[in-house]
Amino acid sequence: MSALKLSTDQIHLIESSPDEKIFLEGIAGVGKTTAGVERLLFLLAQGIPADSILLLTPQRTLAKPYIDALLIPGVSAGGQVSVVTMGGLARRMIDLFWPVIGGQVGFSHPDSPPIFLTLESAQYYMAQVTAPLLQQGLFESLVIDHNRLYSQIIDNLNKAAVVGFPHAEIAERLKNAWNGEPGQMHIYDDAQECANRFRTFCLEHNLLDFSLQMEIFTRHLWNLTQCREYLIRSYQHLLADNIEEDTPIVHDILRQWIPQFRSSLLIFDLDGGYRRFLGADPQSAYSLKELCSTQFEFQDSYISTQPVTALENSLSTILKPQETAIKTLNPSIERYHPKTALVHGYFRFYPEMLDWVAKQVKQLIQDGMPPGEIVILAPYLSDALRFSILQRLDNLNIPCVSHRPSRSLREEPVTQCLLTLAYLAHPQWGKSFQVTKFDMAYALMQAIAGMDLIRAQLLAGIVFHNRQGNLQLTSFSIINPKMQERITLRLGEKYESLRIWLETYQQEPPQELDHFISRLFGEVLSQPGFGFHSNIKSGEITANLIESIQKFRWAAGEYLSETGKSIGMEYLEMVRQGVIAAQYLRSWQPESEDAVLVAPAHTFLMYNRPVEIQFWLDIGSRGWFERLYQPLTHPYVLSRRWLVGKPWTDAEETATNQETLYKLVKGLLRRCRQKIYLGLSVLGEQGYEQQGALLTTFHKLFQQWQSEGEN
Amino acid sequence: MRLPKGFQFSQGSLQDFFDCRRRFFLRYIQQLAWPAVESEPMLENERFTQQGINFHKMIHQHLIGVPADRLSSFAFKDDLENWWQNYLDLYNRLEFAKQTAIYPEITLSSPMGNHRLIAAFDLIFRQRDNTFVIYDWKTNRRRPPRVWLERRLQTRVYPFLLAKAGGFMMDGKPIPPEQIRMVYWFANFPLEPEIFNYDEKTYHADQKYLAHLVETIEHAAEDNFHLTDDARMCQFCVYRSLCERGIQAGIASDEESMENDIITLDDTFLDFDQIAEIPF
Ligand code: SF4
Repeated sequence: MSALKLSTDQIHLIESSPDEKIFLEGIAGVGKTTAGVERLLFLLAQGIPADSILLLTPQRTLAKPYIDALLIPGVSAGGQVSVVTMGGLARRMIDLFWPVIGGQVGFSHPDSPPIFLTLESAQYYMAQVTAPLLQQGLFESLVIDHNRLYSQIIDNLNKAAVVGFPHAEIAERLKNAWNGEPGQMHIYDDAQECANRFRTFCLEHNLLDFSLQMEIFTRHLWNLTQCREYLIRSYQHLLADNIEEDTPIVHDILRQWIPQFRSSLLIFDLDGGYRRFLGADPQSAYSLKELCSTQFEFQDSYISTQPVTALENSLSTILKPQETAIKTLNPSIERYHPKTALVHGYFRFYPEMLDWVAKQVKQLIQDGMPPGEIVILAPYLSDALRFSILQRLDNLNIPCVSHRPSRSLREEPVTQCLLTLAYLAHPQWGKSFQVTKFDMAYALMQAIAGMDLIRAQLLAGIVFHNRQGNLQLTSFSIINPKMQERITLRLGEKYESLRIWLETYQQEPPQELDHFISRLFGEVLSQPGFGFHSNIKSGEITANLIESIQKFRWAAGEYLSETGKSIGMEYLEMVRQGVIAAQYLRSWQPESEDAVLVAPAHTFLMYNRPVEIQFWLDIGSRGWFERLYQPLTHPYVLSRRWLVGKPWTDAEETATNQETLYKLVKGLLRRCRQKIYLGLSVLGEQGYEQQGALLTTFHKLFQQWQSEGEN
Repeated sequence: MRLPKGFQFSQGSLQDFFDCRRRFFLRYIQQLAWPAVESEPMLENERFTQQGINFHKMIHQHLIGVPADRLSSFAFKDDLENWWQNYLDLYNRLEFAKQTAIYPEITLSSPMGNHRLIAAFDLIFRQRDNTFVIYDWKTNRRRPPRVWLERRLQTRVYPFLLAKAGGFMMDGKPIPPEQIRMVYWFANFPLEPEIFNYDEKTYHADQKYLAHLVETIEHAAEDNFHLTDDARMCQFCVYRSLCERGIQAGIASDEESMENDIITLDDTFLDFDQIAEIPF
């Protein structure tokens, strides 16, 4: 066991017999995960083979403390603990047992391998299936970006799979709960039609989106003797943390599986359920308690200091006066004034507030606070807000990291440069895209080291020709010498190398787009004198773009070859439409260990790591409690908790919003050791005054403190 | 040199250090994405790699109970059909399934210096006489000579890790090195496997060698991660533009022939006496 100071309860749990079935519950910060990690290490130290242990979490970030613990050299030699999400396990099992199951499930080509879809490729296929229907007038009454429409239909399918109802019932459930204009209900039928067609399309083409993976695993593979026996044979010990954030279908599987394990430890966060919008169901998770012969409840917080706990009490009383303030084992809590846990800056304009935040962070770090102990949170983090904060921190040389890069892949100048050059190199793609002189100038600025905007524009103005869609680059040598001198011969020489490379490429059969970019990167752009040489960021973005194209090619290549479309051109078209490369998926991103984290509040909660200092921004925003506007789906109605047929009323909406805010505030405070910094501004990010419920709550709190002071 | 948090040594990363220290630095310490072409022709190599992956997966599926006749329909094209048939012949000959225990696609790890050493095995099985056989499926177009395999870090790391970390396969007792054998089986040359028997002396030599290698890496200053002297390595390395070591990638078949006669490596960190003692 590690040198951590553990409570008697924790030790008792950790050292329970390796045959014990344990249920552990408690609020955040009471040492549940610490006990889970130590239990894992204890089992290993008892000689339990690591490869017989299954560690299950609802999402990968939540497994981090376990992964970190397993990587230390002190863990004895042996096999490998399987760290999985149920989605990951489902995919792995489908991949292994596909030859047995593919035909039974109804796929048209069970003798060909399955194609697993990412969110991005699922969106692509949904667009293929849905676009013709949109042209026929489906969703006519709905004003919504098409990509959001696709993602909500996918979301509905996912909900059906993880809640465990047939996907054909989506519309019925949504319509039964609809409480607005009856004329609007047809949009649910439209969404159902798209979902049905998408499912049929997937079965015809061996495509497996997340919903189909989960359905196949839970309805078919789990009942297939070979697969179930393989799983039961492989794993004898289960550790499942944050089960409250997992979905009911996962709990159904665990209900059947737990009796087969030699030991199990289920960890339940009493305040959790932050992933409800993804189908989390704390109630069904809690029902697993009855399967466990030993039960523990931890109560002492290891994280929050008394002032933070006092602040939590004060805010909870305002947010939910009907609930008693949280229990604390320290009766002297009254002595600590919550004020000492709160710092706030109040400004008229938003940028002023952001400046203040950056300054405070700087000061904290100067005073010795490690950057990794500071997080900056907002309900939703718009690209503009993320950029503004990261830039300010960067200017002050503060190491910072965001849950996403500051720009989506398609917005990166490096991506735009590569795709412009790709388009130039493939005249066979036709005239579908507009490449302007500006695009060319920006591409040259990226491509050639030392090329400034003025020279790039000059050069593009002379050498780039778009004759009715036929794009052409002419040689630097035919430019008049005075102009050559202005641009400089060095830059001209690099331009000429690039031009000749592209010209030579065109004389050979075209290659796959990802291969083309890889070659362009290695042979030209990353060579000395070019813009990507020794430029780590450019390498990273190019790698991500190549990976995105490659995944697209693997997922859609066969389908596109049936339709006769070029993969490269289709990729470019999808980027233009924002269907792909619009997400922030990056596999090449080294982890920053000690940096200020900038993230949406819910994302931070799913990292499940306490910090010393939290900055809360945008507290006037309704995003702290309101759901995103998603007219085609509904996380509560499509849950197992909702009575099918019951209408969703304003009263439910209000109660849900209140509960969301209450849980979020508590969740954040229980992951804060020292202080909350509130960044307040009269005008919000968009320049309007905001009066959201969290802001009102703080106003009430300040008024209380003021009147206390007056008395 | 501080290695990234969570870094684990593997035969691949150690081989990279062995081949070129700079490559190790760029790939594992800086974790630098540099997506240039590794070797040509790209599309053909990609297909070949994919076939290799499919082949490994099919064996895994077969060994966990998916019937061979269901799998055979997936081995319908290119080399895969041939490889699969060769594997089935081997399977029928050796009867893996009748062994005491089989462990397909298993990962073992062990503490090594301030980090861990990890290896993913294609197959380990325990025979009735308590001897253990490691099988590594190779899909090389050409059969590498024994001397080349002997020099690969994999040949040291795999049996060493099994002896070190495989005790749970032997009812909790350590596996004596004498009871370990490593077999490289070539799908294109099914009757020419390369077999390496392991023993106590080699185990101790490997332990010392690997510990020394890891320690060297852990304590090397940045300027110790220098560029390889063997510029041929650079033809098959994605970082060649960064190191200013050329423009185009080498041709894959050349890579194999080049690898086959690597002799002038920078191995100043090795304990030559130690190597001489190892009875391969
Ligand atoms: S290009 Fe050559 S020197 Fe540079 S990392 Fe690769 S092998 Fe080493």
